[in-house]
Amino acid sequence: MWKYILKRLIQMIPAILITSFIIYFSMNLTSGDPAMLVAGEKATPAQVEQVRQELGLNDPIVIRYLKYMGGMIRGDLGTSYVTKQDVFKTFMSRLPATLELSFASVLIAVLVSIPLGIYTAVNQNSWKDTAGMIFALFGVSMPNFWLGLMLIVLFSLNLGWFPSSGRAGFQSLVLPAVTVGLGLAALITRTTRSSMLDVIRQDYMRTARAKGASERRVIYKHGLNNALIPIITVIGLQLSNVLTGSVLAETVFSWPGIGRLIFDHISKRDTPMVTGAIIMCSILMCLVNLVVDIVYAFFDPRIKAQYVQK
Amino acid sequence: METTIEKTKSRSLASETWRRLKKNKGAIIGLIFLVVLVIAALASGFIYDYDTQIIGQNISQRLQRPSSEFWFGTDQVGRDIFARILYGARYSLSISAGSVLIGLITGIILGAVAGFYGGLADDIIMRIADVLYAIPNIMIAVVIVSLLGSSTINLLLALSVSAATSFARITRASVMTIRGQEYIESANAIGMPNWKIILKHVIPNCLSPIIVQVTLLIGTTIIAASSLSFLGIGVPAPAPEWGAMLSEGRDFMRSASYICIIPGLVIMATVLALNLLGDGLRDALDPKMKT
Amino acid sequence: MKKRYILIGLLILTVLLAGCGAKKAANTNDLNNDGIKDTLVIGAAAEINTLDLLSQNDQINNIVLKTTHETLLYPTNDGKFLPKLAESYEYTDDTTLVLKLNPNVKFHDGTPMTAEDVKFTLELCLNSTASSSMAGLVSVDVIDEYTVQLNLESYNNEFLVNLASVPVSIQSKKAYDSGMDQPYLVGTGPYKFEEWKSGEFVSVVKNENYWDAENAGKADKIIWKPILEASSRVIALQNGEIDVCIDPPINELDSLEKDKNVTVLEKPGTRLFYFAFNVTKEPWDNKTLRQAVASAINRDDVMEVAVFGKGTKQTTILNRGLWGFYDEMEGFPYNPERAKELMAEAGYPDGGITAKLLIANSSPYTNIATVIQANLKAIGIDVVIEEVEDATLKEASVKGEQELYLWRWNEDQKVDWVYGDLFRTGSSYNYQHFSDEHADDLIQKVLVEPDEKKRYDYGVELQEYLVEECPQVPLYIANLVIAYNKNLKGDYLFGGGNHDWSHAYVAMEVK
Repeated sequence: MWKYILKRLIQMIPAILITSFIIYFSMNLTSGDPAMLVAGEKATPAQVEQVRQELGLNDPIVIRYLKYMGGMIRGDLGTSYVTKQDVFKTFMSRLPATLELSFASVLIAVLVSIPLGIYTAVNQNSWKDTAGMIFALFGVSMPNFWLGLMLIVLFSLNLGWFPSSGRAGFQSLVLPAVTVGLGLAALITRTTRSSMLDVIRQDYMRTARAKGASERRVIYKHGLNNALIPIITVIGLQLSNVLTGSVLAETVFSWPGIGRLIFDHISKRDTPMVTGAIIMCSILMCLVNLVVDIVYAFFDPRIKAQYVQK
Repeated sequence: METTIEKTKSRSLASETWRRLKKNKGAIIGLIFLVVLVIAALASGFIYDYDTQIIGQNISQRLQRPSSEFWFGTDQVGRDIFARILYGARYSLSISAGSVLIGLITGIILGAVAGFYGGLADDIIMRIADVLYAIPNIMIAVVIVSLLGSSTINLLLALSVSAATSFARITRASVMTIRGQEYIESANAIGMPNWKIILKHVIPNCLSPIIVQVTLLIGTTIIAASSLSFLGIGVPAPAPEWGAMLSEGRDFMRSASYICIIPGLVIMATVLALNLLGDGLRDALDPKMKT
Repeated sequence: MKKRYILIGLLILTVLLAGCGAKKAANTNDLNNDGIKDTLVIGAAAEINTLDLLSQNDQINNIVLKTTHETLLYPTNDGKFLPKLAESYEYTDDTTLVLKLNPNVKFHDGTPMTAEDVKFTLELCLNSTASSSMAGLVSVDVIDEYTVQLNLESYNNEFLVNLASVPVSIQSKKAYDSGMDQPYLVGTGPYKFEEWKSGEFVSVVKNENYWDAENAGKADKIIWKPILEASSRVIALQNGEIDVCIDPPINELDSLEKDKNVTVLEKPGTRLFYFAFNVTKEPWDNKTLRQAVASAINRDDVMEVAVFGKGTKQTTILNRGLWGFYDEMEGFPYNPERAKELMAEAGYPDGGITAKLLIANSSPYTNIATVIQANLKAIGIDVVIEEVEDATLKEASVKGEQELYLWRWNEDQKVDWVYGDLFRTGSSYNYQHFSDEHADDLIQKVLVEPDEKKRYDYGVELQEYLVEECPQVPLYIANLVIAYNKNLKGDYLFGGGNHDWSHAYVAMEVK
């Protein structure tokens, strides 16, 4: 097991190298001079030059990249051009907000999707099935930010139930989490439905039924447990997607998460911040995937056996 | 000889799929909606004049609520929203279909290269694909468009990346399953070039997932394109792309909410139709689901 | 199984209940005895970047720093200066400025502010990237504990403005010497820095030992929350989550004005939006052609679409409210017939020009651009709009790669930061790449002529000349619009948006 985890961790390294390379170079090779942005609207050319010196932008790009990577190996992701703050610190200060939103929205998605998936599977090909799937697809068919705006108008402006923006306690989490969560619901529902359909026809289900267990018990106890593996895969995938993919919801709700951090700093050509934050995100996502794989093992003894053998 | 067999086989696959698809109410509703939409979009080119009716401004009749004259009202510079929605279908559909197509072609090429040649090429391509797959497509698109500047071409490229990674995976998997099988070896032996092998054997082998994926990705891409417009890096004005219309309307959420709500509903209906159709196709094409 | 349903039901119920509680809690939170709401919350339209005075240059940072730091002189709304940290100032000759400091001033840590701190701050500034804020300063001498002498390169009319600009707020030498983290946060202002959570808020708390008791802060705490979406920001105001909404969406003012709890204030602004040419690019080196374009643009429509008419049309290139503002010249008002005549005169009777218009990808530029695109089409110029990031626009413009572009300039203090920066040959902000000896000569005269009457005349001549040469087509000055809690008191708003919140507070109604 440990060997497996170690192997997976080592596999992350080339992925991180490739990511950092792509991001760092594309940030630098496009137009938009960071020195000019940092120096500001009214700076003279001499000042822009001074800023360029301070930021070390006069070195050739390869040298700059190697320096950056050198720093990274020592655990130093550099200093933001714009805020002059440590990139790692800034990232970590935004991380709780992102994790909070990610987990909350996945939780909402799961609460909606799993019952819905089972319901549609049990009623396969009936109008209940169609209605259920249309419902599940609503979230993913709407632009995320549009749903967010609509929810703000309804629940914040008209009903006054939830705050419209910012991050201040539990209430402020509800609307962003619902917005992101409904977008995730479709895939989880679809996966639940099809893996339930697979399982429903298996022998042990028939046996359970024959033994006289109630239909509901059969479905939830025997069916769901066996259908869970593909569902967990999808949930894990979704979780790693929302970590940086909720930039729109973050913009609409002024949620201080990582997606918005990256987006804001791209427009300022803040190479260290963008590269650092994206690298941290990919590490995070690899870790999430690893955890998901390990979680499998607990649900499926066959997979567990495989790992142990290795 | 061989080709005729394949033809009949594929014809029967198509008719079988259609037979099963017909049973799926959601998919049929979706399909009908899409057909109507495409016809309307094509017709809009003959009904409306782009310069005067689609982008031409008429400040005197701005912000008029939906009425019998303007079914969907007018926007902040007095343009007929109904006309722009119909005309905009061309942009939204062709941008998303176009980027999925670019993604499909590059994805198939890269996936096939990775699958056939293996080794280092496989490692590099699939590593990059893994990385790109791990980053959400909206983030990739944001990075590409904000770095290259927002033009329609850059938008197409940015949106095609995530499609390319998913097609590369599908193709590679398909290549791996048939590689080493006798008929491929013999095709190789008689000197059939790789691209012919890909066209004749690889693609038919993974046609089902590709069809499903194309349908679903067009939907995702419509949403992604509108999201980019929301972030201010989408299709440049004054093109009536739906997402751009929606984001222009977001400052009017309360005073003239229809400017924002109508394009949103249209996007939703279209993507929903694509998703229903995609799901239906998935069920119809997947033999496992045969009941 | 039933248990699970109950659990889910309970969860949903808690969420709803918690939500219902939210609003009440927000409204009753913090009343202290003197009828002042403890915390003033300002919804900002931009993200706060950095609070290091000398390495920042965004308006929002400046606004925060105005509450924690103070300048030697204090600008008033009408372009005059009041003493602040300096009690008085005097030019002993053209190049020597002597300042007497207020001996009562104390930093947040209790140490008195002396001439050494002033010298330290000004020298820090000269060596920083903000050195243009102190252009013309050669050296600083400490005369005694509370007197400093500034030695200048040559006389210019606008040096004093520098001493009132936020980046040159006086900082503590002791704080820097102590090696503490972020020494630049120590100031003399009525508020002390408390906390900055990136992307969430910046908070400052009242300085209980403020040196000028009469002008101490009122609210115990001021918080700036960046809410970048205008529509969300205004909803937050109506919900009572924030007390002030900077830049509310202009098209929603009507509905906002109906809200009994909100005051919408509109006053003339200083931010000039303009359309301009790169005059080194063919065919825009043709003056008559530029004038034709200027006559073809319908500024009423532009302003209507961009800011719902909430602004002032403008002919001259100088920001309204600056010294010597003159807008009486004829210029090139909207006149499609004249535009066509000028087109013919310029050698393009049938039009047939295609040009790229570079704009930043944010409002109001997109809206302005679509109107101008339609206007120019009428005289046979096909405009292709290219939307880019601010960074890309600036870089392309500095390098002179752009053709036509839209941009803005906000200046409420120094006229040379308009004339000199935008029109002097070789200035980096001369995006038009306009180069004209006569204009350069007049710019210099306005800068150094001590006689106010003569200086004014030079300014008028310069403005008339620049309008006629037409490297830039001024469009309109946007009004400053701000919405706030109707009980907001003691605010001090500037047309350019550089508000001072030091004495603002929300009065609570006694029930």
